[in-house]
Amino acid sequence: MDFYFGLAQIIGVHTLLGLSAYIVLLTGQVSLAQAGFFAVGAYVAGMLTVLAGWAILPALAVSSLFGGAVACAVGFPALRVKGLMLVIATLAFGEAVRLFFFNFDYQVAKGGVKLGPVGGEGFRQIRYFPEHGWTTMEVMLFIWGFVILAMALLWWFDRSRYGAVLRAVGEDELAAQSVGINLTAVKVSAMTVGGMIAGLGGGIYAHYTTHIEHASFGILLATFALAYPILGGLESVFGTVVAVVFVQGLLVEGLRFLGDWRNLLFGALIVLAMNVRPKGFLDAPALLWIGRIFRGRRGAA
Amino acid sequence: MLDFLQSASDGILFGATYALIGIGFTLVFGVMHKLNLAYAAASVGGAYCGLLIVKVAAGAPAFAVFFGAFLAGGVLGYLVYLTCFHFIPVSNPLAALMATVGMLLLIDEIIVHETDGVPLNYPAMFDDVMLRVGEFTLRGDLLMVFVVSMVCMAGLLALLYKTRLGLATRAVSQQAVAAQLCGIRVGRVNAMTFVVTGLLGGIAGAMIGASVGTLSPLLTTPLTIKGLIVTVIGGLGSIPGAIIAGLLVGGFESVLQQFRGVTERDLYVMLLLFVFLVFRPGGLFAPKGGRD
Repeated sequence: MDFYFGLAQIIGVHTLLGLSAYIVLLTGQVSLAQAGFFAVGAYVAGMLTVLAGWAILPALAVSSLFGGAVACAVGFPALRVKGLMLVIATLAFGEAVRLFFFNFDYQVAKGGVKLGPVGGEGFRQIRYFPEHGWTTMEVMLFIWGFVILAMALLWWFDRSRYGAVLRAVGEDELAAQSVGINLTAVKVSAMTVGGMIAGLGGGIYAHYTTHIEHASFGILLATFALAYPILGGLESVFGTVVAVVFVQGLLVEGLRFLGDWRNLLFGALIVLAMNVRPKGFLDAPALLWIGRIFRGRRGAA
Repeated sequence: MLDFLQSASDGILFGATYALIGIGFTLVFGVMHKLNLAYAAASVGGAYCGLLIVKVAAGAPAFAVFFGAFLAGGVLGYLVYLTCFHFIPVSNPLAALMATVGMLLLIDEIIVHETDGVPLNYPAMFDDVMLRVGEFTLRGDLLMVFVVSMVCMAGLLALLYKTRLGLATRAVSQQAVAAQLCGIRVGRVNAMTFVVTGLLGGIAGAMIGASVGTLSPLLTTPLTIKGLIVTVIGGLGSIPGAIIAGLLVGGFESVLQQFRGVTERDLYVMLLLFVFLVFRPGGLFAPKGGRD
């Protein structure tokens, strides 16, 4: 059973990562920096609980705020450029963050053991959960509590004026600007919310793996973050969850029996999925169909 | 000072390969307004295919390997076009972008699978030649890389400005709809762009293999990032920009490697990119904004 709880933890954390990219994608911006914010959150939360001895909740709050602050700071210069230039700028930012942690040493001796991040070796012994006797199931429920919180927030955004503004900017910047929407404010705020969610996800990630290193936050993670909402579709937050379950549950775990060939199939399946369903798994017709099933025939009429 | 000159010149010579990769990104962007993230992976893949020649006919000359990489790069370029762009609607740029990421992972994994992740030796030409001026030396293999890259760029420019295909390509990149109305088959031009950039990529991959001495699947990610940085610094869609930026990034990187070490080197290249994004977001040679 613990295996499935562990899998649910991974899916939960990756959902947070995907949601952070989702809100940025709504404004039509393709950001490969989410892994960078995720890394910042992971290191900040880890250092707070291990080195400063904080409890997990305030540490996660600070890591989330930190992720948001970094995203806001990156947003201003990066959003001067548009479209594909932004992809490249954020890609480079994510790599810069990774390289920063690759060169980052900060160790404190605690009880005869040196703790803290050491450059290439990474940051070991983030043992808040084991030290406080949390079981795998409790950790899983803790993670999913945050996932549901983030999903509810984004779901509510989608039904508010703010969500409409986000999508308006994503559909057509010129049209949005001419009805008086402040493009910079919208884009930077979406980026900040995305950074906060990524920072939170990173903080949680650091605690359930207990060991983080720069290599885990590379371009691969950044493309995964982007892949979830694109594969799942931008119509609804549930698309991201479906895509995470598809990728982490089915492709990564379910195809394990294929051994070496799994990795080969992985890229090929992404290519295939994009050719067959270019708007994502949960595109508008699919959502309509699901809605009809739930509402029964009266709702459809 | 001599160290500085030495590493700068080595870097600039090696930077010619970055310039080739940058041209590949910039050309596809110029024609289709899309990003082909699989490009660097396809280039390295092409270089690996070139090595197959040595496997079949042991002792084949280095030249044959380079030529094989050149051809294989073109084929891979066409495959990337087919899988990532041909069937995906134009109105959906995100899907095409994601598909190229899938292709990047796929090519990477095929290479790892076929070679068990072990770097392979790559043949080089003129690697025993050293041009010396006092204490200042120019490595023969790097010079060869530089010359071959320059010849390829000259060939590309001739293709773009002297042939009908080049004329059609430039027309599509200016105004795809207008070009189509004039009877240019846009789909075919797009496919040809991928083949041409693929050919360039294959030779770039082979040149990188020749100057580093080995070829490893670990090359694809840094190469993708360097190529994209070169594209931005040079200005998206600008070929002369990509050439100059490629040489610039090569030299810059090599000098910083000399003085700050290999782990910090790339950090400064990223900073260079951000300096450009803040102070000159259009790059060195930003093309004038066209009508759309």
